[in-house]
Amino acid sequence: MLGKLDWSAIPFDQPIPLAAGGVVLVAILAVLIWVVVKGHLPYLWDEWITSVDHKRIGVMYILLASVMLLRGGSDAIMMRIQQAVAFQSQGYLPPEHYNQIFSAHGTIMIFFVAMPFVIGLMNLIVPLQLGVRDVAFPTLNSVGFWLTATGALLVNVSLVVGEFARTGWLAFPPLSGLSYSPGVGVDYYAWSLQISGVGTLVAGINLVTTVLKLRTRGMNYLRMPMFCWTTLASNLLIVAAFPILTATLAMLLLDRYLGFHFFTNEAGGNVMMFMNLIWAWGHPEVYILVLPAFGIFSEVVSTFSGKALFGYRSMVLATMAICVVSFMVWLHHFFTMGAGPNVNAIFGIASMIIAIPTGVKIYNWLFTMYGGRIRFATPMLWSVGFMVTFIIGGLTGVLVAVPPADFMLHNSMFLVAHFHNVIIGGVLFGAFAGFEYWFPKAFGFRLDERWGKAAFWFTFTGFWVTFMPLYIAGMLGMTRRLQHYDVAAWRPWMIVAVIGMAVLSIGVICQIMQLVVSIRNREALRDRTGDPWDGRSLEWATSSPPPVFNFAFHPDVRGEDAYWDMKVRAQQQSLEHEDPEYHDIEMPRNSPTGFVCAFFATIMGFALIWHIWWMVILGGLGAFATFVVFAWRDHDEYVIPAEEVARIDRVNLEERRSLVSMAGAI
Amino acid sequence: MSMTATAGRAHADPHHIGVVVEHPGPASKRIVTAYGFWVFLLSDIVMFSCFFAAYAVLHGQTAGGPSGAEIFEQRNVAIETVCLLLSSFTCGMASIAADVRNRFWFYLGMTVTCVLGLIFLAIEFREFADLIARGYGPTRSAFLSSFFSLVGCHGLHVSAGVLWLLTMMAQVFAKGFRADVLRRMMCFALFWHALDIIWVGVFSVVYLLGSAA
Amino acid sequence: MTDQTHIHGERDLAPGQDEQHSVGERILGYVVGLALALLLTATSFFIAGTDLVWQPSIPVALIVLAIAQMGVHLVFFLHITTGPDNTNNVLALAFGLLVVFLVVGGTVWIMSNLNANMPPMDQIMMRQ
Repeated sequence: MLGKLDWSAIPFDQPIPLAAGGVVLVAILAVLIWVVVKGHLPYLWDEWITSVDHKRIGVMYILLASVMLLRGGSDAIMMRIQQAVAFQSQGYLPPEHYNQIFSAHGTIMIFFVAMPFVIGLMNLIVPLQLGVRDVAFPTLNSVGFWLTATGALLVNVSLVVGEFARTGWLAFPPLSGLSYSPGVGVDYYAWSLQISGVGTLVAGINLVTTVLKLRTRGMNYLRMPMFCWTTLASNLLIVAAFPILTATLAMLLLDRYLGFHFFTNEAGGNVMMFMNLIWAWGHPEVYILVLPAFGIFSEVVSTFSGKALFGYRSMVLATMAICVVSFMVWLHHFFTMGAGPNVNAIFGIASMIIAIPTGVKIYNWLFTMYGGRIRFATPMLWSVGFMVTFIIGGLTGVLVAVPPADFMLHNSMFLVAHFHNVIIGGVLFGAFAGFEYWFPKAFGFRLDERWGKAAFWFTFTGFWVTFMPLYIAGMLGMTRRLQHYDVAAWRPWMIVAVIGMAVLSIGVICQIMQLVVSIRNREALRDRTGDPWDGRSLEWATSSPPPVFNFAFHPDVRGEDAYWDMKVRAQQQSLEHEDPEYHDIEMPRNSPTGFVCAFFATIMGFALIWHIWWMVILGGLGAFATFVVFAWRDHDEYVIPAEEVARIDRVNLEERRSLVSMAGAI
Repeated sequence: MSMTATAGRAHADPHHIGVVVEHPGPASKRIVTAYGFWVFLLSDIVMFSCFFAAYAVLHGQTAGGPSGAEIFEQRNVAIETVCLLLSSFTCGMASIAADVRNRFWFYLGMTVTCVLGLIFLAIEFREFADLIARGYGPTRSAFLSSFFSLVGCHGLHVSAGVLWLLTMMAQVFAKGFRADVLRRMMCFALFWHALDIIWVGVFSVVYLLGSAA
Repeated sequence: MTDQTHIHGERDLAPGQDEQHSVGERILGYVVGLALALLLTATSFFIAGTDLVWQPSIPVALIVLAIAQMGVHLVFFLHITTGPDNTNNVLALAFGLLVVFLVVGGTVWIMSNLNANMPPMDQIMMRQ
């Protein structure tokens, strides 16, 4: 009746996961009870859970990413402490538990922190920058978010019910095959990624279509803000790369569930094909994450330098070059696995070539700052911190792109330091920069600068103190994923790293404090103009937070830096426009499709993991029925009457005119 | 005067070379929907390419089991191919009928498409069942694993297509040729034609090359 | 964003859209496509089973025929053409095909290289 599921699935003998799971469960229950008792449930359901507004969905993506960041961060702290104490001893984490922790850390940080964070920011900002009212497929957008949340939920359920994979974040066979991993850990891993992968694909299709087909009048390709270009490139990569992940994991699951022989050691299966296919997805994935971050830095650097982005066209070219070349380098993840010198050389050279467009970008940002009037607000601090940090990560990347060097450094702590260097220094700093930069747009008030700067400095310092020692440990021969070790020379570096981790944690606490303090002081920090940073692109042309329809009129774009251009023109011309004629606006209606669909996907995923076949069928039928019900509805849009549009828009216009006239007076 | 001049220039320069064309604004829903679905289809084709790649790598790994030449029956494959091709044609007829809002021809075209799709699935199912009964199931060798996955994945897509087709017919019956129904019909036609394109790859690479080699 | 509002100056076609033609012309397009596809299919099946042509050319011929037939499907059934209104559709297709080519070609190349350099133990034994 319940497949493989019974009471032995709950790890009563392991205090750490049980306690952690218990605390989380109690916290979730407490929040739920508070929501219900306070009567917030209808508000949450109407305004958030069923919302198809791209801004709301973006915020929910970022919320999911932030919560998961805390989960993945706790894993990181546990690993650092383990390696600091496990010198000539077993430490405090038994091997089978430690292996689950590093697997969960990698999986969560990539799929449920970095991905939702950048997708959330793209969702929130791209339609605003394009000057349109919504994304191409609003309801599918909601489906995509909730499927991502389903994946995150399943990974976290594995903490309490059953176990997680012990195979590392990419689950290489034969270790992840049925003979070496007979438990449900790998199944949790694979099904949560399959489900959230569908969600990511949906988001990718949605954003590609939005950028290519929904742009306001005059928004030609070469007038799009840089963030829209990197969004386009990143989502093209999602659309082209995530199917590879889906197919590869499907093959692994067929091996595990039906006894196929794709990656087994028997009957002609080929383990190496898994490495090959998974990295054909895995390398583009790196650029899926970092390209949007590059876009954020472009926006931030240009805004806070008070200058147009230097070399806009070369930046576009570099972005699209990365988009294509990122599909030609994947073998550098397995140089050491036996390919001949010709293959290794070509992929090595391609990997070095891809550093060139990235270098072009760095120079463009530097020249944007050159001669600018730079304001070091928190987003700008993150951007400058990124440039310093990312260059080191990029250079060590070029180092391991050289096959002979890679033979020395492969799977060492040097590699661990390298990819944390680019992912934290690139993606996470970018996500934080975007968070600080666009928070006022999303919520209508700025974040506290003092706590923000403290968060930056602690995180920045903590990052360097944590990860530079890992480079050295790698040079000293320390391999990754060690549960304990006996080499005395590594010990000091592990201790320095754990101190760095403590500093990094203070940074995270500062970030939380920043949010708390800013919410408390929100009246003082209120952004009334919609343009708190003296911005250059169209998201600043509407109020903060924007009305549900974003713009009363589709803005008319006449050049790059559309909003800056408008501000300049408005100062030259008279500000006294006669009142424009407002029209009714049609917006998509909210729909519970995404939530209900994810509910059935959760049931189905859980049932597949535990081999509860009747429940699988139930979940599948439920999901299909959800879509049929959605397809059958008669009214998918509602109308906001012209008077309402006028009322909302006039308030915004008044504030803005007073701002511009003040600026003109100065 | 100026209008004729513009018209003349547009005529001489049909691709607007050398003219900065202002982007006209957001596209219509029909274009947005179809384009999004087109992007989805491309991603689906990338997914199939992985199964093709796996087949290309593993097709020699028979592990003492049968090779492709020993188990493929070209007659069946030819019938399957003709079924899918004809169904692509009838699906095209159904979408024309939907565009001109002709219910009779729409239902007829969709029904024939559905029947042809079911015949295809029945033949494929019989082939699979027969192979498994002879002990040549996907667990026999890596070659058979990749063969069953590639062809089975296409078969699953056709099954999903048939389910979608029936839902489409029910929706036209219940709602008529509404704008959103027509958009879905356009997506369905794209899907069905794309499956046929993938089948061209399957029968050429798997069945014909496999039995030739 | 609605179907009724026709935006002035739209130069865009949806994939699969073929609206300039009358119903008769559209049906004719499908008939021509079907005939061509059937012809190419028949040729493929004929070539695969015959010994009238030089045997080593057969795989190449089959692949060329398959690509030709995919082209026929794209043009006559999916209406992907090279017209200016179809640019986005063709570009997306080109990107997809590039990725397909890289994944399939790269995989076959890498895996054959790995197999040649690191053959299974029994093959190493056989060489000696």
